[in-house]
Amino acid sequence: MGGACSRKRDQREEEDNLNGGGGVSRRYCKSGSSKWLATSFTRPAVDFQPGNGKCPSLLDLCIRKIREDIDKYDTFSMLPRDISQQIFNELVYSRCLTEVTLEAFRDCALQDLYLGEYPGVNDSWMDVVSSQGSSLLSVDLSFSDVTDSGLIHLKDCTNLQALNFNYCDQISDHGLDHISGLSNLTSLSFRRNNAITAQGMSAFAGLVNLVKLDLERCPWIHGGLVYLKDLTRLESLNISWCNCITDADMKPLSGLTNLKGLQISCSKVTDCGISYLKGLHNLSLLNLEGCPVTAACLDSLSALTALQYLNLSRCCLTDNGCDKFSRLVKLKVLNLAFNDITDACLVHLKGLTNLESLNLDSCRIGDEGLVNLTGLQQLKCLELSDTEVGSNGLRHLSGLVNLESINLSFTVITDSGLRKLSGLSSLKSLNLDARQITDSGLATLTSLTGLQHLDLFGARITDSGTNYLRNFKNLRSLEICGGGLTDSGVKNIRDLSSLTLLNLSQNCNLTDKTLEMISGLTGLVSLNVSNSRISSSGLRHLRTLKNLKSLTLESCKVSANDIKNLQSNHLPNLVSVRPE
Amino acid sequence: MRKEDTVKLISAEGFEFVVHKDAAMVSQTIRNMLTSPGSFAETQHGEVTFPEISTTILEKICKYFYWNLEFASGKETEFHIEPELTLELMMAANYLHT
Repeated sequence: MGGACSRKRDQREEEDNLNGGGGVSRRYCKSGSSKWLATSFTRPAVDFQPGNGKCPSLLDLCIRKIREDIDKYDTFSMLPRDISQQIFNELVYSRCLTEVTLEAFRDCALQDLYLGEYPGVNDSWMDVVSSQGSSLLSVDLSFSDVTDSGLIHLKDCTNLQALNFNYCDQISDHGLDHISGLSNLTSLSFRRNNAITAQGMSAFAGLVNLVKLDLERCPWIHGGLVYLKDLTRLESLNISWCNCITDADMKPLSGLTNLKGLQISCSKVTDCGISYLKGLHNLSLLNLEGCPVTAACLDSLSALTALQYLNLSRCCLTDNGCDKFSRLVKLKVLNLAFNDITDACLVHLKGLTNLESLNLDSCRIGDEGLVNLTGLQQLKCLELSDTEVGSNGLRHLSGLVNLESINLSFTVITDSGLRKLSGLSSLKSLNLDARQITDSGLATLTSLTGLQHLDLFGARITDSGTNYLRNFKNLRSLEICGGGLTDSGVKNIRDLSSLTLLNLSQNCNLTDKTLEMISGLTGLVSLNVSNSRISSSGLRHLRTLKNLKSLTLESCKVSANDIKNLQSNHLPNLVSVRPE
Repeated sequence: MRKEDTVKLISAEGFEFVVHKDAAMVSQTIRNMLTSPGSFAETQHGEVTFPEISTTILEKICKYFYWNLEFASGKETEFHIEPELTLELMMAANYLHT
């Protein structure tokens, strides 16, 4: 009996693809107050909870049974590989794998060992890891205590294609030596390593099949990129947050013409360094966030005809030289946040009609500049937070019918201007976190029935304003923290059954009655009702919220112990609680 | 039950289990056999032989089929698995896509 192949390796790699990482993440991530959602909970959700209505397969039931009796099994090596792989994955997921139970997986010809962030992993696990021999294709030991000598074991796993050692601070140059012969490697990651130096990087020179290399936050690799110059298959290189990287380090990259993604944010690279990249005609993503580059680098960038994603946020751009933006016509995503640019720069973006996402956060732009965006009909995402944009500017946006996300937080827009947004029927995400927005502004937006994310954090919404929320039946996240809500306003929130994130903090009149009313919102993953009159006796209403992962009740009459009891008796999925 | 609504599942030792088609089709593998155009020769006669599945295991699998149907109709009970059967049962479940 062979059975179906259960390999799902590619999924994980998708997660971390070019479009992820620095600045242009596509994963769910909205306002500042809930940013953590994008970095936590990345483990696959195998839901074995009873009572969720989904019938477990017989295979699932068997795996669960084995997990319960794991101490009774000495070996799984007689099983077909794809089955032992599933048992292994389940033990990892349920945190039931130990150094002892791992022994049962010796010589199982497993292909994937995803032990990233798994507690207790160290060199003594490596013998069983290496016993998978030539079957082993990918290993993730991120956040483990594995040391240089642990890596010796991998020498014979010659078919290895992917290795992750992020946050492994006991691995140094010596360890790299041991993997220098694994020439089948296509993906290698050593994020946040303080011990790897240019010298150790000579081990990479022989990894001729490498497609993806990630050395983010390795502060001592200056000079080491010369060993990459013959790795012509390299498509993705991340050396962001390596503040040792200088212009000289760009030179060895000039011949890597297969590069599609290059991330050098927060390095010392200047316009001069960027000029070495001119020949990278396949480069589609370039992240220069926080680099000391000016608009002069646009000369070099305009030679990159494949460029679609460009992150120049927190650079040294001024209006001077910005005319060259007009040459980057292929751009889909452009991030210019936190630069000293004005409306004069926006004139040169007029012709970038392929733009789908534009970030102008904290730039010195105002109403007049937005007229230059009217022709950007592909625009889906527009970030105008902390700009001088006001109600007069919004009329230039009313024709951008493909807009799915607009951020107008901390702008000077007023209630009367919001009417200009009412025809944007594709809108899914709207951030109106501005103090001058009130109920009457919200009233003009009831036609936006497709909204999934609505941030009214600082807006002055009162109970009567919440009546308009009833139109937003698709809302998945909602933040109203302006202080004007009482329990009676929450009545209009309790039927928003798609909600996964709800933030009602700072409304100091909310009582336990609020918790009672939202107890039917069983999809909630994150709930914040801090600074309210919630008391410990109200917590019982939360027992139904089985999906809750984060609960924040700071400055309420609730103790850490009350929450701990709720967590251990009723809400096993809670991972983040305040107070703790 | 009418003959055309049933299917005969035959174990390695030749033991026959007659079960409802609905139940048997909980297995994706059996479903494919019974519904694919042209069909497998055995299924035209309403029987499928599993030369690698023992009687004990096949019986357990038939029980699972009916447990699954009950579960789907809202009766969520525990499905008991004897520890000594687990590994063999698992291999069969994997083969049957169940």
